[in-house]
Amino acid sequence: MAKPTVVVVGADKGGVGKTTVARTLLDYFTAHHVPTRAFDTESPKGTLKRFHPDISEIVDATSVPDQMRIFDTLSTTDANVTVIDVRAGLLSPTLRSLRDIGFLDAVKKGQLNFLVFHILGSSIASLNEIEETSTFTTDGKYFLVKNFINNTSFFEWDQATHASYFRKFKDAVEVTIPKLNEMAFEQVELASVPFLTFVANKGPKGESANYSFVLRGYVRHWLGNVWAEYDRIKLNETVSSGGLAQSGPRVQVVSRS
Amino acid sequence: MAQPAPLYIVASPRPRIGKTLVARLLMEFLQQSRRPVAGYDINPREPSLAERFPKLVWPVDISDTRGQMELYDRLLADDTSSKVIDLGYGPFDQFFAVMREIDFVPEARRRGIEPIVLFVADPSGSTIRAYAELQSRVPATFVPVYNESVSLLFAKEDFPPTRLECGVIRIARLSPLVRGVIDRPNFSFNAYMAKQPGGPTEVHQWIGNVYAEFRDFELRLLIGRLGSSIRGAPVRRKGRPAR
Repeated sequence: MAKPTVVVVGADKGGVGKTTVARTLLDYFTAHHVPTRAFDTESPKGTLKRFHPDISEIVDATSVPDQMRIFDTLSTTDANVTVIDVRAGLLSPTLRSLRDIGFLDAVKKGQLNFLVFHILGSSIASLNEIEETSTFTTDGKYFLVKNFINNTSFFEWDQATHASYFRKFKDAVEVTIPKLNEMAFEQVELASVPFLTFVANKGPKGESANYSFVLRGYVRHWLGNVWAEYDRIKLNETVSSGGLAQSGPRVQVVSRS
Repeated sequence: MAQPAPLYIVASPRPRIGKTLVARLLMEFLQQSRRPVAGYDINPREPSLAERFPKLVWPVDISDTRGQMELYDRLLADDTSSKVIDLGYGPFDQFFAVMREIDFVPEARRRGIEPIVLFVADPSGSTIRAYAELQSRVPATFVPVYNESVSLLFAKEDFPPTRLECGVIRIARLSPLVRGVIDRPNFSFNAYMAKQPGGPTEVHQWIGNVYAEFRDFELRLLIGRLGSSIRGAPVRRKGRPAR
């Protein structure tokens, strides 16, 4: 049995696509047969729950009872991985809470895996936020995610400035989410299904759907590239550590219609 | 054994090389052999195939996603007609890039459609390189078309077909004197072939020869397919032969 893994996906600013990244992570773990559950902190609405209703719960990350629902169940749940999609602006407060409840100490002792995916905005202000966030993640794995999914002009500012910021955080690893065809993205939104389900031409209840092959092809290609990034950072190996490491060929996005 | 419905893609990275002529001949050849046929004209600036066959050929602009859906989704939805695409040199790169990105060829084969690229060859180095590169990246069947009106030189080793049995399709040179006849806006090869009041002319012979080339090609393809199914493995050429 692998030790429990908590994946926090967050940003200090809205509209940077953190829920999209959380969705790709859930698809990745599904494809690798890693039992996963998710918490959507966009209470009361919950975008993540709309796409992954079977494994997602909406919680208020600032309330103690909901914190207990998440963290007190880590060792008893069947899920190896817990993904928490943290609402915009709550990343630093959430990490602070994790420190206060002793979660970060458990990570330090090697009882838990802890991964933070910090989705960056396109302004220099978002890089200032890294400084604060990174102080909480010294014992976990800290990924700085440049999300190009719906933004073609990203980090247009000076590369030297960019590099100087990233040099400060030697333990942080950059992850790039490539752009997805707008119409394909929109169709997945309308379908309200996981990316993987869209590729497989299925509806929310597993019924056959009639999505465009072109759009499915674009999503399959894009998801393959995103997963290649996750393979590069050895995500599957990380969440499997402490137990049976999963081996075998890399999982590919396969269309079944 | 049901034969796959062919999807002919008449292509070249260069303009004025005879692509639309080959597509016209193929459309009429398929009509003459009484098979259902549908055409697609991917020449947004000059859709001349669509103008000649307004009821059979659909003009498509694949520069945006909507146009790509119109084309590729439609191609996959129809697994009974023989299909002919006249691919202009402008959208040449994009057509194959999208085809690769969405994994079109395996899906087409799964649905009983066989994509066949009829690559109109010319001796320029860039065309030879484009052929080799495309053949290595796109898993379709590639067949070179040697249009004698374009060049008197054709080195077979520069354009190896994907399957050995496919060979080369040769379009003979038509004398410039009668070339104007087939270029007339309302000219139909089949209508012309049906009328031979004073015996066959040079144009009759030329059309007959081209149709014979197409028939031979289809036969070679069929024999190759039967041979592959008997042997249990497709006949594919590995790499390019040494020159």
